[in-house]
Amino acid sequence: MARSRTIAVLPLAGVAAALWLASTAAQQAPAPSLQGLLSETAPPGIDRGLRELDAPRAPRADSADAEPFLRGSVIVKFRPGSSAGARRELLAQVDGAAEQPPSYADFDIVSIDARADPVAVAERLDREPDVEYAQARYRVYPRLVPNDPLYSRQWNYPAIDMERAWDINAGATPAITVAVIDSGVAFRAAIMRYEAGAFRLGRGGAIFPALGAIQVPFAAAPDLVGPDRFVSPRDFIWENTLPFDLDGHGTHVAGTIGQLTNNGVGAAGMAFNVRIMPVKVIASTWDQIFRSPQQGTDDVVARGIRYAVDNGAKVLNLSIGRLGPPAPVLQDAIAYAVSHGAFVAVAAGNDFESGNRIERLAEFAPQIDGMVAVGAIGRDRGRAFYSNTGAYVELAAPGGNSRVGGTTGGVLQQTLDGDLVDTYLRGPARFQAPRFDAFTYDFLQGTSMAAPHVAGFAALLMQQGITSPAAIEAAMKRFATDLGPPGRDDEYGHGLINPRASLRGLGLAR
Amino acid sequence: MCLMGPSVVGAQTGEFMLRGFADIGRTTFSAERSFQAVLGSERGAVFGGGVEAVLPQRIFVHLRASRFRATGERVFLFDGERFRLGIPTTVTVTPLELAGGYRFDYRWRIVPYAAAGVGWHRYTETSRFAETVENVSERFQGYEILAGGEVRVTRWVSAAVEAQWTTVPDALGTAPDSVSREFQESDLGGATVRVKVVIGR
Repeated sequence: MARSRTIAVLPLAGVAAALWLASTAAQQAPAPSLQGLLSETAPPGIDRGLRELDAPRAPRADSADAEPFLRGSVIVKFRPGSSAGARRELLAQVDGAAEQPPSYADFDIVSIDARADPVAVAERLDREPDVEYAQARYRVYPRLVPNDPLYSRQWNYPAIDMERAWDINAGATPAITVAVIDSGVAFRAAIMRYEAGAFRLGRGGAIFPALGAIQVPFAAAPDLVGPDRFVSPRDFIWENTLPFDLDGHGTHVAGTIGQLTNNGVGAAGMAFNVRIMPVKVIASTWDQIFRSPQQGTDDVVARGIRYAVDNGAKVLNLSIGRLGPPAPVLQDAIAYAVSHGAFVAVAAGNDFESGNRIERLAEFAPQIDGMVAVGAIGRDRGRAFYSNTGAYVELAAPGGNSRVGGTTGGVLQQTLDGDLVDTYLRGPARFQAPRFDAFTYDFLQGTSMAAPHVAGFAALLMQQGITSPAAIEAAMKRFATDLGPPGRDDEYGHGLINPRASLRGLGLAR
Repeated sequence: MCLMGPSVVGAQTGEFMLRGFADIGRTTFSAERSFQAVLGSERGAVFGGGVEAVLPQRIFVHLRASRFRATGERVFLFDGERFRLGIPTTVTVTPLELAGGYRFDYRWRIVPYAAAGVGWHRYTETSRFAETVENVSERFQGYEILAGGEVRVTRWVSAAVEAQWTTVPDALGTAPDSVSREFQESDLGGATVRVKVVIGR
């Protein structure tokens, strides 16, 4: 069953980033967001099968036509010991005022004039001795792309010798919790009510009519959900405990980490016995249409990271990223995670053919032992065309490459049925309310798909006995299969992950 | 010359003796850190036995086989810390040693002796989940010196205490995925103290 090529080739993140709510575009005050849980139960998820003929989407990257940051506020971390009076005085200089302290954050969100340039304001604050860092609230995007099905189609696992690795460690155990810090996960059933106002896709695009108050069905991904599978779900976009995936990215990523395996259904995952903590920090197009109170900005992601660690996650997967200036708030958050015993896998970025700009979430990986930036390879074990290169690339894992693998060259997992999710891609005339209770097996490509291989791998290592994040990173690097020029290089880092060799470790003589 | 010797001690009588022996000992391996990391201890029990010919000139030659065997687990080493991976690994060292030496004049009931020799040490290492080629079964040549003292217990039975130092160079530390490579320990030898029971005149 082939999907529309038009649908498949549009980079969703670009759409999301380019979304202009009609009211915002008209410089009106945005309407308050509305989200309500109508029913705790809903019919089970609908499995709509394998999608292997879809043309691959381009890997997601930052949108070119949307502002990369939010206006009206900046992120500020004051140095310990600075007085409240000094802080107020400092903020007064930029017409700023601290908002209510956000949860799971050691920084403040400071309101500033909406007309002011937040980058300039942040730079000014950053120079003050009482300020540890200040930065604009840059948007963070998922890193991926789709396609199609089942274990025999999952070339990515044999490529890293997973079958023999599973002999040693059969998918870890529920003692390990992996946080999927992403667009949410299809983790439970519910019927939700949303208010969908009019909006425009991109500057100058057609206006989509308001749908008004709509009821939207959700279901758990059938090949992902199991007893006690999900722990401590949290949504930092809607500020609640219902991190529904309104995109499909997070569900796909969660599948690579922990898709149920040996259950006679669908596809396999790396660490299929772990618990999954869905932490939503990315606002999808639908979240924005529904006017979510938060977007996927640096501060939101930082809070998600801290939340995950504080609630017991031992491995964090960040298949997200952004370009632009450095992100100290995220570096701080990831350092916090590692210092609290959590390993962090981050996508190295999909920007290679657009200038190979620095992926800001990944760039500090070399400075943090216990955090790994992951590049992508295709079926040919060569670097995927989109995968960023640079000194910060530390390891490579299968991310898919449609240029060498065709429509099945991506990474296969179950996710939301895009036909029923991305209805805005049909245009205003055929646009309709989405549903998030139907699933397909899609091939996606991107460093977003590579990172969860490393996150799942980390969970296996942790279960096997390597409990320190820094040691996990060292084990991954030590046993990686060298690709490209001998030794570490900027394309593959230390090489392709080799889970079996790492799990076996060292013998006395061999 | 006999000062305070036992009534009958073959070697001092100038007779040819062909004897068998069994022994139990404890070896401390030179590759201390490697054995400690994988097996949990650098020491272990060694069981052996062999035959010995003593010539009238107090020169003796012995051929001895022994075995050390211990099971530990594969590990990962990082920053001075050992992470145990729960994969059982069994190490077996089986030396076959040929040594020649001299039995000195006795004092009291004790006959001191010393020897030096050559050994062929079979080293095997097997671990769960390993493919055949990933297990190790190799033989290395080594050298040894030993010294001990023997006392006649009965007409046909003697007992001895013996200390031996063995070197088996370049046996370990060659494979990249090995603890011995990490610690740059290459010698499979070590020091052994053993108790020996000798049967025969």
